[in-house]
Amino acid sequence: MKSRYALGAVVVGIPLAMALLGPMFAGGPGPRAASFTLGDGHWLGTDFVGRDVWRQVLLGGRSVVLVALAATALAYLVAFPVGLLSALTHRTWLEELLMRPLDVLLAVPSLLMILLAAAVFAPGAVGLTLLVALVNIPDAARIVRAAAGEAASRPAVEALRMQGETWWRTAVGYVGRSLTRTLAADAGVRLTGVLYLVATAAFLGVGVEPDAADWAVMVDRNRTGLYVQPWAVVVPALLIIALTMGTNLLVDAGLKKRKRT
Amino acid sequence: MSGPRTWLARRLLLGVAQTAAVVLLVFALTEALPGDAAVALAGDQPDPERIAAIREAMDLDRPAHERLAAWAAGLAHGDFGTSLASGRPVSTYITDGFGPTLLLAALTVVLLVPVGVGLGVLTARHEGGPVDRLVSSVTLGVYAVPEFALGVLLVTVFALRLGWLPPTAVGYGTDLLAHPAALVLPVLVLLSRPVCSLARLVRAGMIDALDSPYAAHARRYGIPGFRIRYGHALPNALAPATQQLARTVDWLLCGVIVVEALYVIPGLGTVLMNAVAERDVPVVQGLAVVFGVATVVLNLGADLVSRRLAPRSEVAA
Repeated sequence: MKSRYALGAVVVGIPLAMALLGPMFAGGPGPRAASFTLGDGHWLGTDFVGRDVWRQVLLGGRSVVLVALAATALAYLVAFPVGLLSALTHRTWLEELLMRPLDVLLAVPSLLMILLAAAVFAPGAVGLTLLVALVNIPDAARIVRAAAGEAASRPAVEALRMQGETWWRTAVGYVGRSLTRTLAADAGVRLTGVLYLVATAAFLGVGVEPDAADWAVMVDRNRTGLYVQPWAVVVPALLIIALTMGTNLLVDAGLKKRKRT
Repeated sequence: MSGPRTWLARRLLLGVAQTAAVVLLVFALTEALPGDAAVALAGDQPDPERIAAIREAMDLDRPAHERLAAWAAGLAHGDFGTSLASGRPVSTYITDGFGPTLLLAALTVVLLVPVGVGLGVLTARHEGGPVDRLVSSVTLGVYAVPEFALGVLLVTVFALRLGWLPPTAVGYGTDLLAHPAALVLPVLVLLSRPVCSLARLVRAGMIDALDSPYAAHARRYGIPGFRIRYGHALPNALAPATQQLARTVDWLLCGVIVVEALYVIPGLGTVLMNAVAERDVPVVQGLAVVFGVATVVLNLGADLVSRRLAPRSEVAA
């Protein structure tokens, strides 16, 4: 069991450390060299506009990781109250009003929604965060609603109600707290999905500058030089693979453990 | 909850609502443009002529509800409006890109089911053994990897280092079937995520089903293992997997867009990305409706199939 954690931690550790600490070691931008060259002081060569690939790699992980984390948190910030409210309310119309639109939204493919918005707004990093959070809300709210519905039908909730506890204390203090385990598991799964979506959107040019220091953008822009200088593509691609794979291995190890205890 | 008829009616109603929502959402796109839509879309060349042309092409002078009615009525007849960039009808863009995308999607789905189910059954039979551990770790790892990163690595290894396969489909046009070598990498990349997810679900379902009392009972009767596995256990194991198959439609669609961009295949995904880059809103809207409605219909189909396989399970509707 421990080996699963260790494997996940090692695989995710390298890209995560690079993403978070890399910018501190990157240093200032050096003089631009010719595009797609190797050697000459650049030990991973230069990219499509002649910048040092190693420096771009050090700088390029932060955006992916931060946008993914912020989007996951934001999705829950909206989904949690919506799901909780619709599980605890006794008014059917309110529940239908809250949940039905989300059922309908589930039908729209997530990347399509992001591309649609990109066609009109040309979003930046903040816009991409909001969009990714938005497409994750329907599913997250459904999970909160299902888990809260189970907790809300327990006798303890009935007892709290009869004791005259406030709605807030019953809803957040008891039902909300009993959801932590389910939500922690779902948040892990959701994070892998969000990482995938953020990286893919960046690869397609949504929410990033065309010459941004971002692993996904590097893969896209340096593809033209794949024959002469593969490192500018292969290194960021490997880092993205390690990041997503490692997160998933870690989340799965956590889920397995939870099931056994 | 009561009776299959009611369920079917509810599920169909949801499908209709989802289709309507897709159409409304896509239409709302132009309404969401800040300020005057024609000025916003003209972008870098805001000369009055171009603005007037956009206004004319999109009927921006008419009130929104009239435009929505006209647009929706057009959609029903296959009239998707005209492109802002070229003035060609949007439907020609769709028919041009349809072939390659359909080919990619069809090949993927045709390979997905046998490979995914096969891997799932294989790992379930050898649960805990070295084969199971190896395949399970690989499927778990690859499951979360974005297609573009995997695809670029495959190109580096198989096209550049080994030289076995062409790196992109450039120069082959839309007739990809005549060049099967160009299809190997795209289909492999498209398969990566859905196969992993399907195999894992089938594995879990098969392990449960083979452990169940009815499988033990069938074994006591001396029914051969092959028949128990494929005749009795597999149909029960497939029900949750079919549900997931519907979710993978979403992935397949994301995947098609990425794979077409990566391997330069002139399909609907490429048309969509070009239109997004040019801010050609009518083309984006037309393609979004096609993609959105396809997702709704495929989801509906998967729900009907999984309902048929396991009528007692609760299916969201």
